[in-house]
Amino acid sequence: MKHNRSLIRNSGFQTFATSILCIILGLIVGYLALLIIHAEGAGEAIGDVMKNFFTRPDSASRMKYFGSTLAKTAPLIFCSLSVLFAYKVGLFNIGAAGQYCLGMGVALRLALESAINPEVKISWVVCLLCGVLAGGISGAICGLLKAFCNVNVVISGIMLNWISLYGTNMLLKPVMNPTGKDTFRLVSKAKQALLPTLGMDKLFNNQYVTIAIPCAVLVAVVIWILLEKTKLGYELKATGNNPNAAKYCGMKENRNIILTMVIAGGLAAMGGAMYYLSDFEQWNVNSSSVPAMGFNGIAAAFLGGLNPIGSIFSSYFITHITMGGGNVNLSHYCPQIADLISAVIIYLCGFVLFFKTMVNNSLRKSDERRIMRQRAAEEAANQEGGNS
Amino acid sequence: MENYAIEMLNITKRFPGIIANDNITLQLKKGEIHALLGENGAGKSTLMSVLFGLYQPEEGIIKKDGKVVRINDPNDANRLGIGMVHQHFKLVECFSVLDNIILGVEPTSSMGVLQKAAAREKVLALSEKYGLSVDPDAIISDITVGMQQRTEILKMLYRDNEILIFDEPTAVLTPREIEELMLIMQGLAKEGKSILFISHKLNEIMMVSNRCTVLRKGKYIGTVNIRETTKEELSRMMVGRDVEFVVPKDPANPTDVVLNVENMTVSSKVHRNNAVNNVSFQVRKGEIVCIAGIDGNGQTELVYGLTGLEPLKSGKVEFLGKDITKTSIRKRSLMGMSHIPEDRHKHGLVLDYSLENNMVLQRYFEKDFTSPIGFLKKDNIRKYAERLIDQYDVRSGQGPITPARAMSGGNQQKAIVAREIDKDPKLLIAVQPTRGLDVGAIEFIHKQIVAHRDAGNAVLLVSLELEEVMSLSDRILVMYEGEIVGELDPKTTTVEEMGLYMAGAKRQ
Amino acid sequence: MKKILALLLVVVMVAAMFVACDNQKTPETTKAPENTKAPENTKAPENTKAPENTKAPEDTTPVEPTGMKVAMVTDYGDITDESFNQATYEGAKEWCAANGADFTYYKPTGDSTAERVASIEQAIADGYNVLLMPGYAFAEAIVETVEANPDVKFIALDVSEYDLQAANGTDADFSWQYPANLYSAVYQEELAGYMAGVAAVKLGYEKIGYLGGMAVPAVVRYGYGFVQGVNDAAKELGKVDAIELKYVYGNQFYGDADITAYMDTWYNAGTQVVFACGGGIYDSAAEAAKKVGAKVIGVDVDQAPTIDGKYAVGMTVTSAMKGLSATVKTLLGQVKDGSFQGGKVETLGLVSETPTENYVQLPASTQWADGFTEADYNQLVADLFSRKITVSNDTENAPTVEIAVDYQGNIK
Repeated sequence: MKHNRSLIRNSGFQTFATSILCIILGLIVGYLALLIIHAEGAGEAIGDVMKNFFTRPDSASRMKYFGSTLAKTAPLIFCSLSVLFAYKVGLFNIGAAGQYCLGMGVALRLALESAINPEVKISWVVCLLCGVLAGGISGAICGLLKAFCNVNVVISGIMLNWISLYGTNMLLKPVMNPTGKDTFRLVSKAKQALLPTLGMDKLFNNQYVTIAIPCAVLVAVVIWILLEKTKLGYELKATGNNPNAAKYCGMKENRNIILTMVIAGGLAAMGGAMYYLSDFEQWNVNSSSVPAMGFNGIAAAFLGGLNPIGSIFSSYFITHITMGGGNVNLSHYCPQIADLISAVIIYLCGFVLFFKTMVNNSLRKSDERRIMRQRAAEEAANQEGGNS
Repeated sequence: MENYAIEMLNITKRFPGIIANDNITLQLKKGEIHALLGENGAGKSTLMSVLFGLYQPEEGIIKKDGKVVRINDPNDANRLGIGMVHQHFKLVECFSVLDNIILGVEPTSSMGVLQKAAAREKVLALSEKYGLSVDPDAIISDITVGMQQRTEILKMLYRDNEILIFDEPTAVLTPREIEELMLIMQGLAKEGKSILFISHKLNEIMMVSNRCTVLRKGKYIGTVNIRETTKEELSRMMVGRDVEFVVPKDPANPTDVVLNVENMTVSSKVHRNNAVNNVSFQVRKGEIVCIAGIDGNGQTELVYGLTGLEPLKSGKVEFLGKDITKTSIRKRSLMGMSHIPEDRHKHGLVLDYSLENNMVLQRYFEKDFTSPIGFLKKDNIRKYAERLIDQYDVRSGQGPITPARAMSGGNQQKAIVAREIDKDPKLLIAVQPTRGLDVGAIEFIHKQIVAHRDAGNAVLLVSLELEEVMSLSDRILVMYEGEIVGELDPKTTTVEEMGLYMAGAKRQ
Repeated sequence: MKKILALLLVVVMVAAMFVACDNQKTPETTKAPENTKAPENTKAPENTKAPENTKAPEDTTPVEPTGMKVAMVTDYGDITDESFNQATYEGAKEWCAANGADFTYYKPTGDSTAERVASIEQAIADGYNVLLMPGYAFAEAIVETVEANPDVKFIALDVSEYDLQAANGTDADFSWQYPANLYSAVYQEELAGYMAGVAAVKLGYEKIGYLGGMAVPAVVRYGYGFVQGVNDAAKELGKVDAIELKYVYGNQFYGDADITAYMDTWYNAGTQVVFACGGGIYDSAAEAAKKVGAKVIGVDVDQAPTIDGKYAVGMTVTSAMKGLSATVKTLLGQVKDGSFQGGKVETLGLVSETPTENYVQLPASTQWADGFTEADYNQLVADLFSRKITVSNDTENAPTVEIAVDYQGNIK
């Protein structure tokens, strides 16, 4: 009993529980939407969404699509880390989408140099590092504008998203596959730039399963350590929570803001670079919007309770249901239904904090009632004692 | 059977781990001024929140004119004629006095058109009746603090409130304005209004109120008639022991110059004049120099300039013989400058951090707390915080891991004081170090400051409390409109003389 | 909190009831017949009589229809794109409904080969054995899956030999032998574009525009064919100097405010007719044309009913058509009767002097006039068929022409 009570009071557990609650609520609402559209197949459809790769007929292909889900999870983890890291420092990095895009663009451009100059073969390490650097610089621009001109990072982030998008389009035009609208595949034109798979491709029977996945998990852990255990994390969070106090005690507020944005930008860019260096997708050089990955990162960060470790799981979950959405029977539902369900769930994720407050309030009330009852009982006992 | 305007009988209100009000009874007679006295955290605010329906008590009832009433929210309280003048005025700066008074109860025609003429008449009549002189058309931001407060009072009267609550109304006033306020309060009481006067300034309570209810640590201590009591008795009731009002200290023995300020000018963020204008002074080892003055006369900016929070427009600051005019905040701190900031929420604390993390805010980077590769040494931080908590009696729900946000104002302040004094600074800049603290805590902090001086360090105290200035300082510098207008010796000067300097009526 | 819990409970119970009711009601109902809405223009009949396949049906034993399960996978568009996907979808659906074959479609979760492969494998896992894949974007996905699934028929549209060989990494020597279960049809869009270009000039229009969707090969072939058609007709009529041709891509397959604004400028500057070539992009051209009473030319299918119905009667001069739907039906018919011949990429274009038997053509709704009568059109088709007139299908370089063509790049 006592153990239960302390568990429910634990902030981490509360975040976890409320995240789960949001997911359940989201599924119920999504289910209702399915019922309204076509009642007959609703159960099956929601099942398909939740099952994702489990709907595949044999274990080999289940493994393969589990791999695909993981491969798509990795960039989302990076983006959510980028968002939550900046958020901890009081900055809302909506520019993650652009940084993701730019990191991808630079990495891909370098990788595909071999498509136009076959003798130039740039290794994945260089591509990745340059991509991350580009994202970091993009983040630094936001940070500099914030630090020295007090430009809101949301504004500069959104503007930089467009700049990054069209910059990337320009950058990648020369390495576009002339018969299509996309860039060349690395596997055909730049094998040296493919991320190593460490044999995981064999294990999963899926060439897209690369070191991006363990890297994402590793980076999440590193970010957690950085925020919770280090001096730098202490400074950054202090700057985020109270910039005046940070200044008062001599922290370099501006440096911290810029550094934060550099790291956040680098994280998002790393996600983009690693994803595209896995060759899972090719870039459409005529894209007119930044990839949704950066924005989904916001949702994943919040669903994960703004905890780097939590964001690993929330990112996986969001990817899982999004991929699962592809299985919904399209004879009854329009293809957007999967997006609808995941959007509802993601939307409800924003309520994690709200639910947490609610739980705490009700806990407090029940405490008060308990104390009151205890007192009443004591008083009653005393009175009885007095009477007899 | 007494005639009570409002009665709060046996009120009990609990929060997790703490009983904020434990069986408290407060009876306010019609036409009396009733003081509510208690240390910080004694439960005054909770009791008032209960009265305004912000909290529901677990036990106890509230009676108005002898009838039990239920107050669920501030609107209920308003309907019952209960009004409050808050410590921090709730006025719209860019509105006129009249607009502020009628805000929320605007008289309108059936078509929804404002009818200000009638309102103006009523306001003028009220201000005449109670001697509250205001200009109804003046804009709030243009008028003095005293007049703003009168606007607040008129707001209550305009709503025909019968029960007026003044929450520490004198904290922001000059001595003269305080006197005026006392007269106004007495006038209101004479006209039949019932006044609840929340304060921990014993002098004022003794001066103006009829009865006084004392709370301590959430418990009801007693209600006394002011005519039958003394200041000492009240403070004993409040603190639970005898309190020394005058800090015992030996005469100062100033030696070397620690801080030397020459022609310091700091520009203002709010107006075009310089906030600090060509100020020069020195602080020596072994003395407490106090900057006195009414709030907003450049003290804040002076301190910002000294600590590095704001750049100087011109002039020079020397600390321990070194020019630090352009030195960073961190360097100044490392050289031995401590700063108890004026606004603990703005500068002093990271509210979302735990108490222990706030305790090391000025020294987290030292090698006791950070390993060479940048990891925090959490165990050391915990130990250090526990020592300070113990040594400075910082009270909180969960000890070192309490979020700073969840602590009472007084304990937050104590934590800051502990952190800053424990740095053992050569120069302690203390801005209103006892703001919002109760008598017991004030006494403790004053002793710490004196001890720090006696250990051979310099102290620069900035205070708005005349009593504090008089009792603690070895030398007084009075600031008026950004300039130092007088240097006084607390042993020879009087509060009245100081008041003249502070109001700009006199200068050396 | 309690209230919320209660509310939640109610919601769950209501939901449970829904399910329960449905379970009771529906078991007898077989697969609900297609309740998807049919866009109003589906009735535009494919007036192509599916040409007899070159190979006469030798094996006439019918395959029982139950054995055929047809699935379509969409490319980056949706089945309502008023173009490629929609034409394929509607053709397949119509055929399957008439022949009792199971039919559904899959939409990949994203625009990448990996996701297209996922959808293809999903369809196969769900038991579908005939896959329809419209669009060159499928090349890599096909290469990845086709050989592992020899029992499944892969029918691709618009996937060229080059696309496939490049995807297989054999574009240097085209050495890949296509597996027997793969068939791809590509079209001579340049011929359709050419006919539309000739028609536009001969019908008296002088200020002409070309609004492409995205510059993908099929769209470019249409466009360059159109340019050649305009050029040749202008030369024939001696109007080389009089003709003005503007050429632009919208960079997307749907119309929007930006593109409409761009078209407004064109029409306001005197453009009389625009060949709107790419999915729903005609919306922008028609919207702008309506304001000044100008004309448009449709694409892929006979868009006269759609555009005239939506904007203004008589707006559509003609449409450059290719027989997607016809191809799908023909091929599904071949699969059914066992005459399906895979292992090849076929270029479909002119197969006859009779215009309606071809895979590229102009519709009967073309606004024939003295300058360009139906007879003139028949003659044109005959000349093209006999290769008296040749049209370049080069998509790399713009055709060399005598008229002035104002290439304006991409709008976006």
